[in-house]
Amino acid sequence: MPPTGFEPARMNRKKGDKGFESPRPYKLTHQVVCINNINFQRKSVVGFVELTIFPTVANLNRIKLNSKQCRIYRVRINDLEAAFIYNDPTLEVCHNESKQRNLNYFSNAYAAAVSAVDPDAGNGELCIKVPSELWKHVDELKVLKIHINFSLDQPKGGLHFVVPSVEGSMAERGAHVFSCGYQNSTRFWFPCVDSYSELCTWKLEFTVDAAMVAVSNGDLVETVYTHDMRKKTFHYMLTIPTAASNISLAIGPFEILVDPYMHEVTHFCLPQLLPLLKHTTSYLHEVFEFYEEILTCRYPYSCFKTVFIDEAYVEVAAYASMSIFSTNLLHSAMIIDETPLTRRCLAQSLAQQFFGCFISRMSWSDEWVLKGISGYIYGLWMKKTFGVNEYRHWIKEELDKIVAYELKTGGVLLHPIFGGGKEKDNPASHLHFSIKHPHTLSWEYYTMFQCKAHLVMRLIENRISMEFMLQVFNKLLSLASTASSQKFQSHMWSQMLVSTSGFLKSISNVSGKDIQPLIKQWVDQSGVVKFYGSFAFNRKRNVLELEIKQDYTSPGTQKYVGPLKVTVQELDGSFNHTLQIEENSLKHDIPCHSKSRRNKKKKIPLMNGEEVDMDLSAMDADSPLLWIRIDPDMSVLRKVEFEQADFMWQYQLRYERDVVAQQESILALEKFPTPASRLALTDILEQEQCFYRVRMSACFCLAKIANSMTMPVAMALLRDVHNLCPKEVLTFILDLIKYNDNRKNKFSDNYYRAEMIDALANSVTPAVSVNNEVRTLDNLNPDVRLILEEITRFLNMEKLLPSYRHTITVSCLRAIRVLQKNGHVPSDPALFKSYAEYGHFVDIRIAALEAVVDYTKVDRSYEELQWLLNMIQNDPVPYVRHKILNMLTKNPPFTKNMESPLCNEALVDQLWKLMNSGTSHDWRLRCGAVDLYFTLFGLSRPSCLPLPELGLVLNLKEKKAVLNPTIIPEAIAGNPEAAVNPSSHAQLVGFQNPEDDHLAKEAACNMSAHQQGVKRKADTPLGSPLEPGQILEKNEDSSKVKLKIRFSNSQDEEEIDMDTVHDSQAFISHHLNMLERPSTPGLSKYRPANSRSALIPQHSSACDGTPTTKPPWSMELTRKGTGKEQPPLEMSMRPAAAAPLSVFTKEPASSKHSDHHHHHHHEHKKKKKKHKHKHKHKHKHDSKEKDKEPFAFSSPASGRSIRSPSLSD
Amino acid sequence: MADTVATAGAGGSGTRSGSKQSTNPADNYHLARRRTLQVVVSSLLTEAGFESAEKASVETLTEMLQSYISEIGRSAKSYCEHTARTQPTLSDIVVTLVEMGFNVDTLPAYAKRSQRMVITAPPVTNQPVTPKALTAGQNRPHPPHIPSHFPEFPDPHTYIKTPTYREPVSDYQVLREKAASQRRDVERALTRFMAKTGETQSLFKDDVSTFPLIAARPFTIPYLTALLPSELEMQQMEETDSSEQDEQTDTENLPLHISTDDSGAEKENTSVLQQNPSLSGSRNGEENIIDNPYLRPVKKPKIRRKKSLS
Repeated sequence: MPPTGFEPARMNRKKGDKGFESPRPYKLTHQVVCINNINFQRKSVVGFVELTIFPTVANLNRIKLNSKQCRIYRVRINDLEAAFIYNDPTLEVCHNESKQRNLNYFSNAYAAAVSAVDPDAGNGELCIKVPSELWKHVDELKVLKIHINFSLDQPKGGLHFVVPSVEGSMAERGAHVFSCGYQNSTRFWFPCVDSYSELCTWKLEFTVDAAMVAVSNGDLVETVYTHDMRKKTFHYMLTIPTAASNISLAIGPFEILVDPYMHEVTHFCLPQLLPLLKHTTSYLHEVFEFYEEILTCRYPYSCFKTVFIDEAYVEVAAYASMSIFSTNLLHSAMIIDETPLTRRCLAQSLAQQFFGCFISRMSWSDEWVLKGISGYIYGLWMKKTFGVNEYRHWIKEELDKIVAYELKTGGVLLHPIFGGGKEKDNPASHLHFSIKHPHTLSWEYYTMFQCKAHLVMRLIENRISMEFMLQVFNKLLSLASTASSQKFQSHMWSQMLVSTSGFLKSISNVSGKDIQPLIKQWVDQSGVVKFYGSFAFNRKRNVLELEIKQDYTSPGTQKYVGPLKVTVQELDGSFNHTLQIEENSLKHDIPCHSKSRRNKKKKIPLMNGEEVDMDLSAMDADSPLLWIRIDPDMSVLRKVEFEQADFMWQYQLRYERDVVAQQESILALEKFPTPASRLALTDILEQEQCFYRVRMSACFCLAKIANSMTMPVAMALLRDVHNLCPKEVLTFILDLIKYNDNRKNKFSDNYYRAEMIDALANSVTPAVSVNNEVRTLDNLNPDVRLILEEITRFLNMEKLLPSYRHTITVSCLRAIRVLQKNGHVPSDPALFKSYAEYGHFVDIRIAALEAVVDYTKVDRSYEELQWLLNMIQNDPVPYVRHKILNMLTKNPPFTKNMESPLCNEALVDQLWKLMNSGTSHDWRLRCGAVDLYFTLFGLSRPSCLPLPELGLVLNLKEKKAVLNPTIIPEAIAGNPEAAVNPSSHAQLVGFQNPEDDHLAKEAACNMSAHQQGVKRKADTPLGSPLEPGQILEKNEDSSKVKLKIRFSNSQDEEEIDMDTVHDSQAFISHHLNMLERPSTPGLSKYRPANSRSALIPQHSSACDGTPTTKPPWSMELTRKGTGKEQPPLEMSMRPAAAAPLSVFTKEPASSKHSDHHHHHHHEHKKKKKKHKHKHKHKHKHDSKEKDKEPFAFSSPASGRSIRSPSLSD
Repeated sequence: MADTVATAGAGGSGTRSGSKQSTNPADNYHLARRRTLQVVVSSLLTEAGFESAEKASVETLTEMLQSYISEIGRSAKSYCEHTARTQPTLSDIVVTLVEMGFNVDTLPAYAKRSQRMVITAPPVTNQPVTPKALTAGQNRPHPPHIPSHFPEFPDPHTYIKTPTYREPVSDYQVLREKAASQRRDVERALTRFMAKTGETQSLFKDDVSTFPLIAARPFTIPYLTALLPSELEMQQMEETDSSEQDEQTDTENLPLHISTDDSGAEKENTSVLQQNPSLSGSRNGEENIIDNPYLRPVKKPKIRRKKSLS
């Protein structure tokens, strides 16, 4: 994506890092948010915000803020009315008419759109003009107070309303509302600077129904009734400087529980759940104690609130002094299975209170530090709470996950640097989305990003010791808390922001160690290491010859150079060796300590000092080696494939005490289905001291081994059976179910019962089908009949006595799908669809949807796919929408290389629309749609689309014909230069000559990707001076300016869709007014057309330096013409090519025209219309006018998001 | 004895006159019953030592007796129908009598009283002949206090019992088996019943009854049923769970901990309050209870005092 002109410079400065430099020409110090009215019935919110800012430059005349969805009524600065423009290019990323359907194009455009409103680049959707009366004031850098009245109607994102449709008042119904979103999403519910790096103090006021409670950040200072005593106002003060993105809100008829251990901690839950809340939160104080102890720092806020709400966006969301949880984490004392999971969530959110909320980040590229530290201290908590085994197991699991993901997708980059224009390489070119912004990231990538961040933090700990690590954290926290107490020195507040370089500096100050290589390897670079190890024992020299190879050419891998620990267990004990992995040396000789000897009965010392007897008969008589482990401490992010003999793996499994080693050996033993392996596995399985997770995986591995050895007796012990399921297994499980009696148990057995149903499902094998006969009851396999009997009973009992979180229903639904898939029961999605409806518990819905997704894939059902897509668009629960996309991506009905009847043009259009404009209210959802589109169609133009009209196009730059890039997959992707470098594009536009225009119809089409990039800059340049190469959004929006041209006998007759035109004029005239400082807004609005047009020539020459007066849109025009009309017309255009301008220059000018426009603005302002104006005007345009005002036709923003300027009258 | 004859004679004459008046069989039956009752009343009176009685009083007593017997019959019938039978049994009668305040225990002694008078059996025109196709064993003869015209005892196999003694089943395996299948049967019956009475879904298009699934029904507030333990489980919890209680009292017995934390909170709060002098008045005098802003009373609106922002 092209960086806007001034961006690289700033980025560079930031890298230089002499403290934080704000991207904004002002400093925000305080913000008031007041919501006076919340209507649950209409799902609307009315309120105002007031931002106190100090200009940092003298000529501040425009203030950019973030705001989405909000309807803004009025803006005043220091009590003076101020004009403003609202423009959000992310609403519709690419314009309707564009026939582009390749994802590369979209991703670039989307990244550009997000950039255009990115607060970290000083941008925003809302641009407010400082009234001229205040300019003097501003020049003295005096305080400005911006007061914005806004409302929010039926928000689709940011604030989520839950309003159950039952009888009673809203409070009785349990209606509630809460803020939610992915990363900085506060702009969805009030205007703010939605950046993690702009800190200020807060005053928050919420007036709600007297039966409701409003929970928000900071201290509740008082609650006051309104005069009619029917409502009350909650007044909150947050004196610790906090970023708007960490502001949150939850309103509902909550039950209140003051933590019995810590009175400053308050818990909230929905009605009737108080007993669960009591139990669930009874543990929280221990987490507090743990963190405060290791960080040697008090919890930074004076209070803490936990709110448990329904239809949560994510399970855990941490905000300043408050965390919002899913209500489904609540559980009673009977449910022991949920307890550790919920506690993990609580601990996670609390870790983020310190790092993420209290300490915020300087920029997106510093996110990894926060996620890393909070994840790391959460890991420490886990180690303390669940033990070292669980911790190591978790680390191993996380490592495996990130390794698998990186190898699959090609790398996760923790610290992306988007430097100057020279670096043409996109750091994430292997991905189908941009990693420049959190909002363009795939959710899965972000999850993996967090996972990698905490693993890297652990690597740093390995290097500098935990003690130093905690000292660094403490240092960050104490710096921040000193800064936060500086109430009136807002410049100090940047100490509360963490940056990568600041963090690294702290580390080197505290530890005195240089961790730069480590950072370079894992933070500045993406990819993991892939080792292949093998060895030979040289008896003569008594030396172990270890060979370690690396694969660093596959995607997602990188080369590792540095130390690598190898542990060798010999007969005489365990020895660690540190090898230096270098470029060329593959072989490493490791001297052995012990001579091989067989007869002496002696105990063998292990790593942990324990000495054990071993039966050494299995091992090689000549070798003293029992087993070898590479990188046992997981101090490299790697995947190791190591070759050693089966007996060595078996020894490792039996005698190595590390759970990770045991897991590794279990995995390796899968490849050695021998009786000895089986014995080792069963021994571990029966050993009760062994870590339960290891025993579980031993069990599953045993099933696999047993299968390949075809030993039904072994299988009878197991649940997981794959080939033919022996009768004994089924009977065993059925008996388990039958004799399961939980009546005397204090704890619920719902998870156990659910597991047993899963086991039943696992036992199902494909039905033997003859000639695709229809599945009926009569030909039902007797075993399956038994299974169905159980499932029916369980599922029906659930209706009468539901289990906790309906775990049993979930398992039953899954089992039914398995039966369907295996051909025992007719495949039918109807049952699942009924369970997927809104109103069922979310876990059930997800399970049912998963089955429908699977059905869609297996049965290639277009109808079901449509049903799912419809749900993605309309379901009331954001999490469900996200999840459907996610499941469709994981289990796609077809993929890009597959022929499928489902893959058709309508589907492409539908999905395109979904990600282009249908999901603008939810970043996560949009990225999910992008993921799905990528999975289905890949990066280039979907193959099911008809080929574009012209196969051959002209490459304007090289002046030669090439195959249309849209046909060649990835061609355009491979040429990012044009997209990145705006000046090259400008040239390109500049050098076009009329002939080219007409020949380049398709080229224009292709180029619009680049233009898109330009446009994005153009969209928001209100404040910034126009840069070279920047053309005020004329050429691109071809797609929007709907010009219907009929070249009938080269007679000029054009119809121009006016809905776009008048808007664009408004937009541009406003731009101009703004640019031209001395004019007053009131006047400029009614300024006669000629005075405005007088400005334009200067402007245009300044901006693109094109000598030609040719209206830039002419190129687009031609394209449009060809696009819409039949091929013959394309030909007919050629003759006219010589004078494309003449086509337009003949029309008479009309000054009425512009008046007309103004008239329209006026109307819009009054009506407060939404962005899209539907009324169409057909209008004859005159060329003279156009000559003067080339911009009039070039509105890109038109019809999108421009609000006509609202000026005070 | 003469009195008896007299009363009997009086009764007899009544019958005769009645039979003359109506020949309707129902009426006949009615009159016959009435006459028998009169005889009974008369003999009871004689037993009680009366020598003569006025006709009106005999009539009244007869009426009373008839009501009493009718009530016994009606009530016994209800009891027997209540237990889903058509023929009243002895226990129905006993319950009826108990219900009516009659001391049943005195009945045998009364039946065996020495001075009782035996009434001749009413003439039966056509006694129903029970077919004796199968007779097993010898019917027991009537005990002496039961008039011989009463029906005979039924066949001995209907009332003779031979008590046998067998070890009660205590084998764990069998018991578990029994309990499990019983539980399962109950569950299946219950769910099938529910499925029969409500809407169902089926996995097979052609057969909706073999594996009926109770139809999925969305809830208005789905999380409540999903998260809250059922009443049954709550009950079990209360039963098995006294340790929980202990824990709770434990938490309350932590004054040390709380007080330290509390003071921390206090400090924090006061620091906040210092910045908002307008609030300091609000909380004086509530030091002893937990101070949490959400527990504080909601304030009345101030009288037109403009809030100053900043």
